[in-house]
Amino acid sequence: MRPYLSIQLAGAELWLLAEKAVYYPAERALLIADAHFGKAAAYRRLGQPVPHGTTDDNIQRLDNLLAGYDCKHLIFLGDFLHAPESHAAGTLSAIQAWRERHASLAITLIRGNHDRRAGDPPAELRIEVVPEPLLLGPFSLQHEPDPHSTHYVLAGHVHPAYRLFGRGRQRLRLPCFYVQSNVSLLPAFGAFTGGMNIDRQEDSRVFVVGEGAVWEAG
Amino acid sequence: MPKTVNFAQRWFTARGWKPFPFQKNVWAAVARGESGLLHASTGAGKTYSVWFAALNRFARPSPAPTDDKPRKRKTPPPPLSVLWITPMRALAADTARALQAPLSDLQIPWSVGLRTGDTSGSERARQGRRLPTALITTPESLTLLLTRADAQATFSTLKMIVVDEWHELIGNKRGVQLQLALARLRQWNPQLIVWGLSATLGNQEHAQQVLLGDGGTAVQGKVVKELIVDTLIPQGIERFPWAGHMGLRMLPQVLAEVDSSTSCLLFTNTRAQSEIWYQALLDARPDWAGLIALHHGSLSREVRDWVERALKEGHLKAVVCTSSLDLGVDFLPVERVLQIGSAKGVARLMQRAGRSGHAPGRPSRVTLVPTHSLELVEAAAARDAVNARLIEPRESPHKPLDVLVQHLVSMALGGGFLPDELLAEVRTAWAYRDLTDEEWQWALAFVRHGGLSLTAYPDYRRVEPDEHGIWRVPDARLARRHRMSVGTIVSDASINVKYWSKGGGGGSLGSVEEGFIARLKPGDGFLFSGRLLELVRVENMTAYVKRATTKKAAVPRWNGGRMPLSNELADAVVEKFDAAAHNIYDSPEMHTVSPLLEVQRKWSALPRKDTLLAEVLKSREGWHLFLYPFAGRHVHLGLASLLAWRLSRDTPLTFSIAVNDYGFELLSATEVDWSQRLNASLFSEEHLLADIIASLNAGELALRRFREIARIAGLVFSGYPGAPKSNRQLQASSGLFFEVFKQYDAGNLLLSQAQEEVMRQELDVGRLEQTLRRINGRTLDMHMIKRPTPMAFPLLVERMRESLSTEKLSDRIARMVRDLEKAAGPEVTV
Repeated sequence: MRPYLSIQLAGAELWLLAEKAVYYPAERALLIADAHFGKAAAYRRLGQPVPHGTTDDNIQRLDNLLAGYDCKHLIFLGDFLHAPESHAAGTLSAIQAWRERHASLAITLIRGNHDRRAGDPPAELRIEVVPEPLLLGPFSLQHEPDPHSTHYVLAGHVHPAYRLFGRGRQRLRLPCFYVQSNVSLLPAFGAFTGGMNIDRQEDSRVFVVGEGAVWEAG
Repeated sequence: MPKTVNFAQRWFTARGWKPFPFQKNVWAAVARGESGLLHASTGAGKTYSVWFAALNRFARPSPAPTDDKPRKRKTPPPPLSVLWITPMRALAADTARALQAPLSDLQIPWSVGLRTGDTSGSERARQGRRLPTALITTPESLTLLLTRADAQATFSTLKMIVVDEWHELIGNKRGVQLQLALARLRQWNPQLIVWGLSATLGNQEHAQQVLLGDGGTAVQGKVVKELIVDTLIPQGIERFPWAGHMGLRMLPQVLAEVDSSTSCLLFTNTRAQSEIWYQALLDARPDWAGLIALHHGSLSREVRDWVERALKEGHLKAVVCTSSLDLGVDFLPVERVLQIGSAKGVARLMQRAGRSGHAPGRPSRVTLVPTHSLELVEAAAARDAVNARLIEPRESPHKPLDVLVQHLVSMALGGGFLPDELLAEVRTAWAYRDLTDEEWQWALAFVRHGGLSLTAYPDYRRVEPDEHGIWRVPDARLARRHRMSVGTIVSDASINVKYWSKGGGGGSLGSVEEGFIARLKPGDGFLFSGRLLELVRVENMTAYVKRATTKKAAVPRWNGGRMPLSNELADAVVEKFDAAAHNIYDSPEMHTVSPLLEVQRKWSALPRKDTLLAEVLKSREGWHLFLYPFAGRHVHLGLASLLAWRLSRDTPLTFSIAVNDYGFELLSATEVDWSQRLNASLFSEEHLLADIIASLNAGELALRRFREIARIAGLVFSGYPGAPKSNRQLQASSGLFFEVFKQYDAGNLLLSQAQEEVMRQELDVGRLEQTLRRINGRTLDMHMIKRPTPMAFPLLVERMRESLSTEKLSDRIARMVRDLEKAAGPEVTV
């Protein structure tokens, strides 16, 4: 069991991490899709009793990643904040404190559909917000998985999950990386996010994430 | 003031009718101001027994018109006096017609109105100003009326409540919702007269106590006449009965039955099955187009109304239907009733049989159509059980907290509440008679803060006390949302189906679950409303369709719960197998199925009253155990989870579980020595509760149950109709909520309720305990089988499966990935 799995994509090496993120060693960049910060807070604001703890969980896992991998650039592939109601004091101050612990880190957010509704994160977080796509090496970093004319696409948005079937009629549903010939999908990073089942196509690979490891599942 | 008039006598005499003794009993009891419960079968005159009781007691004739002022403005009808609660919207219109009928003849100036989910906006607005004298409504619409700020004034003139078809409500959360509404109305008017109308139940005292508390009058209606239960015997039988198909093999015989009768109802158990049978009948007999129809709960109201009317007027030769036609509405012309597949219960079968043979001197008759061979045994057993009148009891749920939480918000809207007063009132509802102070405090805290700890959810507030200590809903947006979500019927998000026409939607056909449409692409065909349709496009929660040209079609599945076989019927089935084991084949059904039972006996054994049959099989899939306790699918699921947990407590194992009404299968991908593991300690009644809870945590059942609880408690909101798509960013699935609660707020009582409900309703711990006791009184009869037996086969091919695992997730993934690699051969590269 390894905490990450290295693959070659568009001539570059990428590490698929068990924490549902991608590390791009050549650029020392960490890619995170669909964090959905403040989703639980938005629900509470609208009268849905969702417990606390999801923001702390997200931040804890980000901290572990930044401690474990040498990063100079953290890139969110969209849906950083969940909704307008996610600009809640508790959520933002926790993210602010986290930001201050990593003051020298460059952070970029590629605006996704939720960000457009939620509004950009406050300037104090010092997150550079850009529209998609963001080109980096051979990759086009995007929120939505539309193919790019010249670059290989890394995207979020879909929250892919894969169903594994085994002997004895067993099955498991797990978040996954979905690697296709010109587009790859990252699993959703956020602690309070669901998933959408994907069907594996012929020329594609699926890497499921579970219990601290990444596994190739066909 | 004019004196009391005996309207009942006047109306009956004018028609030359003679009231039944039970009708007179009801009239007399209501005249004395008593509440009560009337047990009678559908169509036995129970509507008029309570309606005339109400008219006799509360109505006065119109004053004679005075000649000098002929143009005088009409005096308005008296204010709301009688509430008539019906479990189905579809019944409301018919009930209204029945109640309206005697009013003009008798010159009673009462008005009759409807208030259901189908009521139009303009009608609602009119009622908002003034409710009719008699209002027909559903439990959900009644609760909605109670959320009006002026609810107390609105109901101040109410004198009597009639709960129709109480047997349909007592056993579920809708009934609990009604119990709470009745508690409120009785609080406002302790003199309120309440009458329930119920089909015969196995526990009538309980039914009465839940509705009326102590006291009240029980009246027994006309006793059911002769009932005939027979079976369409198939020409040949399959040796491997498979529950997965729809029974279409019986089509030629069913066609002959339909052909030879003037009017016929074909009851099916699922909506999908009714669609398929309707289509099959039409394909076989195109000349029946227009003479046969389809009726189920997902069709649009217009379609259902048309079918009901045409049936009543005698225009239809046959209607394929589901339980949507179980209740109420007395269709006079039905000559024959066919039940396709198992009816699952004695009461249900009797009710369906009662749909036929209303002509005097003609017995009611239901003909069973087996959809697989073993249902022949069930058919023979059902006849025995009906003849012995082994009618099932129905129990009220016990303090469901999700319904209570919803009620608190409703009451906060309906004028607000003081906690102490409301607690006393809630405890007068039978389901909450022993609600503890702790549970009450939790429910209050839940609607206020979202949890028991004050700091749990600071952004969240649904209900808050105002400066006078009265609890209210401060946010108008939340108030609107709550009103949209009142109710305890949980269904998946559904999507309307309409014909596509340029410049707007065409006619509406009904609704299907969103998940089904999501799997279709434009151009795909599907079967719905008895038509082959092609999906054109989906927008604004509407699927636009046109008539399909292709023959290839999917059939929507609706996620309705599958009913378990009742105890009474299951016992009767075991009796039949036991008789067969003693070579007694005493009916045409048992004679026909005997070759199959012989195979079962040769390869393994027949189940008997004093044995517990177990079959052990090793296949390519893994190590199988088949066990047949005959306790219904719910208990089997609990028992299977319990055994799986006890087997895997010491050695980590993962089981796949399949259940049906006769037994269950445990399947492991790794070796299990069943002959050694199947011992007395596995079936021990000790530590039962603790082991069940542990098995729930290792499995997926509680999550499934949480879906319903989350919706009723207001966690999951299905959205406003026609709302812009952006609102959907605020929706999460109950599964996601379940995971988040489990991880971050494990003490949340809704989680424990999910657990308790699985135990009480889904798994039925009481019945489980009883089953274990029975099992322990029997001899284990274990057989190593080389291939699946006729009884094992339906379990083996069952696709709906639960799983239970005590293995580490990583071990399970590793094994599955290894299996994949073995199956796939060399790795694929991109």
